[in-house]
Amino acid sequence: MIAGPVLLLGLLVVAAVALYILRRFESLAAIIASGLSAVIAVALWRLPLTVPTILVGRPVHLGRPFMWEDVSLQISPASRALLVFLFATAAVTFILAWRTYQGRTFYPFGMLLLAIWGAVVMLQPLTYTPMAVVLAAVLSVFLIQAGKAGETHGAWRQLLYPTLAVPLFLIASWYIDQAPLNPDDQDPYRIAGWLLIAGFVLLLQPAPLHVAFPAVASQAPPVVAAFLWTGGQSVTLFLLQRFLVTYPWLSEAVDSASWLLWLGVFTAVLAGALASTRQRLGRMVGYAALYDYGILIVALGLRGTAGLPTAIWLLLTRTFSLLTMAAGAAAIRHYMASDQFERIRGAASRLPWAVIALIAGGFGMAGLPLTAQLPSRWALLQLVAENDRRWALLLLLGALGVVIGVIRAGQACFGELKFSPVERAPRALTIIAFLLVAAGVLLGLFPQLLTGPVAAVILPLSILEP
Amino acid sequence: MSLADLFRQLSLLIGAPAVVLAGIGAVLIVVPRDWRAVLFGYALVTVMLSLLLSQVIPAEWALQQVIAGGLVAVMLFMSARQLRTPAHLARPRSQQWPRMASVTTFRLLAVGLAAIGFVAVREGLSLPNISPLFRDAILWLGVMGLVGLALHEEPLHAGLSLLTFLGATQLVVFTLIQRRMLVGLLQGGQVLLGLAIAYLVLAHGLAAPPAAQDEPELSVFGGEAP
Repeated sequence: MIAGPVLLLGLLVVAAVALYILRRFESLAAIIASGLSAVIAVALWRLPLTVPTILVGRPVHLGRPFMWEDVSLQISPASRALLVFLFATAAVTFILAWRTYQGRTFYPFGMLLLAIWGAVVMLQPLTYTPMAVVLAAVLSVFLIQAGKAGETHGAWRQLLYPTLAVPLFLIASWYIDQAPLNPDDQDPYRIAGWLLIAGFVLLLQPAPLHVAFPAVASQAPPVVAAFLWTGGQSVTLFLLQRFLVTYPWLSEAVDSASWLLWLGVFTAVLAGALASTRQRLGRMVGYAALYDYGILIVALGLRGTAGLPTAIWLLLTRTFSLLTMAAGAAAIRHYMASDQFERIRGAASRLPWAVIALIAGGFGMAGLPLTAQLPSRWALLQLVAENDRRWALLLLLGALGVVIGVIRAGQACFGELKFSPVERAPRALTIIAFLLVAAGVLLGLFPQLLTGPVAAVILPLSILEP
Repeated sequence: MSLADLFRQLSLLIGAPAVVLAGIGAVLIVVPRDWRAVLFGYALVTVMLSLLLSQVIPAEWALQQVIAGGLVAVMLFMSARQLRTPAHLARPRSQQWPRMASVTTFRLLAVGLAAIGFVAVREGLSLPNISPLFRDAILWLGVMGLVGLALHEEPLHAGLSLLTFLGATQLVVFTLIQRRMLVGLLQGGQVLLGLAIAYLVLAHGLAAPPAAQDEPELSVFGGEAP
């Protein structure tokens, strides 16, 4: 009987090797990577976890754990939900990357990254999982640098904080093991709680540890950066949720909800302020994404009955906005050969749909009407206002900063072409940009379309097992 | 000669001399600009860490530290050698790799201040199940790692500072938790980290100097610039 995790990870590693060999045939590699991701997403969604099934003549038990000494890997209902989300996102991203020229090594490395993220969500014991997060960060280095000589800030900063977090989790695991030996002594729980929270602050990288965001945004290809943020952040937040459920004392030991709220609000406000003043497209996109990330942290900090569904809703809708914005930025950066505001003048005349995607995605990040983010953001603001209205006001101020940044970026794209002639965007790119914008508007008008997926994720998360 | 015999032969070093030598190695990683001195410092730290670890985990496991550290040092050496092209050496010294963010005197001063801090806090620091000797090693290597991370953005120095910091934390983790899988995972992770750092060293070192933008594009992984 083949265990689900072995099949999944084995398939991804083999696919990564095959895609690396095929990387010179970029169209083929992109279609294979996207198709395989979509097939895996559908298979994970449809196949049962509890009973074996026959796949290509072999019995496969998706929910069966794979054990090796101290560690085990298992697909639980909750991890399945996240895996489906990751693979579905990857399927879209690979196609986007193909049409926006993000580098041909993205496909094999993207597959490996999916395998590592998959390992993170399936791994036990929990305190070992940050090591897999570091492995993902190591792989991200090659994706961010993308073969370019020059600045290495983005790749380095992406690597640094997760690596520093690992020892904190390991030492915390020792304290957690010691605690039951002397039940009257609460110190081990308290120390473990602080170590875990410090570790999560390093993994989550909220402001003021956000330095990787703008550096990655300005250095990495935009769609690759969006993929890293979407996948990496959802995996880290899922990990946080697993810790909070597995160790219920963690919430009381260090008041983690309060910490998350403060960090989220601070991150959103700072990112909004900085997004409004940037002069480069990449950095503006980075700070807009950081603002949105701050909102997500706030949602997770609210917890309770409404906080978690809102966080999942936000996670789904932000993916649309982020990919739309990144696709627009990637196309503009590629065709205009720069992302400085002063050098992208005239982009609107040659790449109209790329500019529309940039603006629509940016407005989505701010949570404006007619975007996918509005309903989820509105729900979150109401929840935040119930706690403290000033926080809701601060989040709106941050959104205003993002809107100003997006308007400035959009304004920079208009006017006559200033530099060398720029070719028109190919039809495929125009169609992709149009589809992304249309999907965002559709979800903004009919948010109930996401009710099913959100409900499908909430139930397994609510019964998340240690 | 068995591995245990080898470690017994080196028993003279295990203890305070190993801590002192590891401390000197850490200073060599942070202060000098020359990459050979930095790599020598890292090798020294790695070997001494292995000797110290042999006191808390089986010698075979401790030896993995030397193997992992050796692999990292070889990768970084190869990266550094690739950057020593005639065209690169013809540049003015200030534009040659590694380009530092601070002068040596400043880094020396920072290490001196860190040493004062170390002396001031070492007695007050208590770590569970950790001997005073290990405590000193952990504190000094940890402080040097963080000072290195604060002072350097150049990947060779910053990367080795990070590995030095991780070395300090390994002393804590392996004293508290003795599991074969954990040792293997951490040492394997160290090698992968070294691979990423070696790649970044190349990417950073091959960057064109501010005046000229005609340096060849790095294509180790066949990627394309957007």
